[in-house]
Amino acid sequence: MSWYDKTKHAVRFWLLRRLPACKQTVELISQSMERPLTLRERVLLKLHLWVCMWCQWYLEHLQLMRDTLRVQKNENDEAEVPPTTRLSDEARERIRRSLTNNS
Amino acid sequence: MSEPQGTAPHKSSDVSVWLERHGDYLFKYAVFRLRDTSAAEDAVQETFLAALKAYEKFEGRGSERTWLVGILKHKVTDHFRRMTRETPLEPGREDDGPEHAEFFTRTDGWDNHWNNEYAPIDWHATPAQLLERGDFWRVFSDCLSPLPQRTASAFTLREVDGLTSEEICEALGVTVNNLWVMLHRARLHLRNCLEGNWFRREPTKPQS
Repeated sequence: MSWYDKTKHAVRFWLLRRLPACKQTVELISQSMERPLTLRERVLLKLHLWVCMWCQWYLEHLQLMRDTLRVQKNENDEAEVPPTTRLSDEARERIRRSLTNNS
Repeated sequence: MSEPQGTAPHKSSDVSVWLERHGDYLFKYAVFRLRDTSAAEDAVQETFLAALKAYEKFEGRGSERTWLVGILKHKVTDHFRRMTRETPLEPGREDDGPEHAEFFTRTDGWDNHWNNEYAPIDWHATPAQLLERGDFWRVFSDCLSPLPQRTASAFTLREVDGLTSEEICEALGVTVNNLWVMLHRARLHLRNCLEGNWFRREPTKPQS
């Protein structure tokens, strides 16, 4: 390891020890998707993400889940309904009857 | 009824056609949010009845499906309101979902940091790639199912429908802080579950 890498490593660990831990950081990441963070929270989050690849990925994955589910919603409009989530024949018949009785 | 007689048969046959055309879609929409088959069937039935009653208001304006989904959305919210009234959240509620404390338990002095076993890995994935997987919906739905019903619904309303916190709190009868705890636990659980299903089975790539 070069002198530069060693220093970088030491700084990382020093910071990780002093910043809020991953457990609190993932809570903050989730909140960042719900409300604007305060300046203090933003700084702490940025610093933590700077030294923690795991939490960086965590944030990336939450965003990816959100993007995927929202894309899916739009494209879903004409998508094929999987057989497991079809209206059962009984329910369909019941609805049809209630429509006839109410018209 | 003051309507001209001629419209009635036309009206109900139209709505029956809608049942054929959109019934499955509406049911899927409802089941995904309510996570309860019979509640979803009821919501779909109420939607078609409401559509029948309000038929004149629609009059072929815009897409039938969009109109029906608009009605269904209200029925889904009504269901949550009823559920909230009937079974209010208990003060010492166990309703938020698993806390997954084990994700952040370590024995090497780094407690509260990710346990290596549960720490996120690089997915190398885009939304398009995730959706290309044939098992997207099955896995997602399986991962959602161990969560308490209210937590799973909160997650769906937030991440799929993009409702605001206020709207979800109103529908589910929870405080904003409570909602944030629910969403956090749902995300923690789902992310881990999706990773286990999609990315951990494959052999780990050498880190370069």
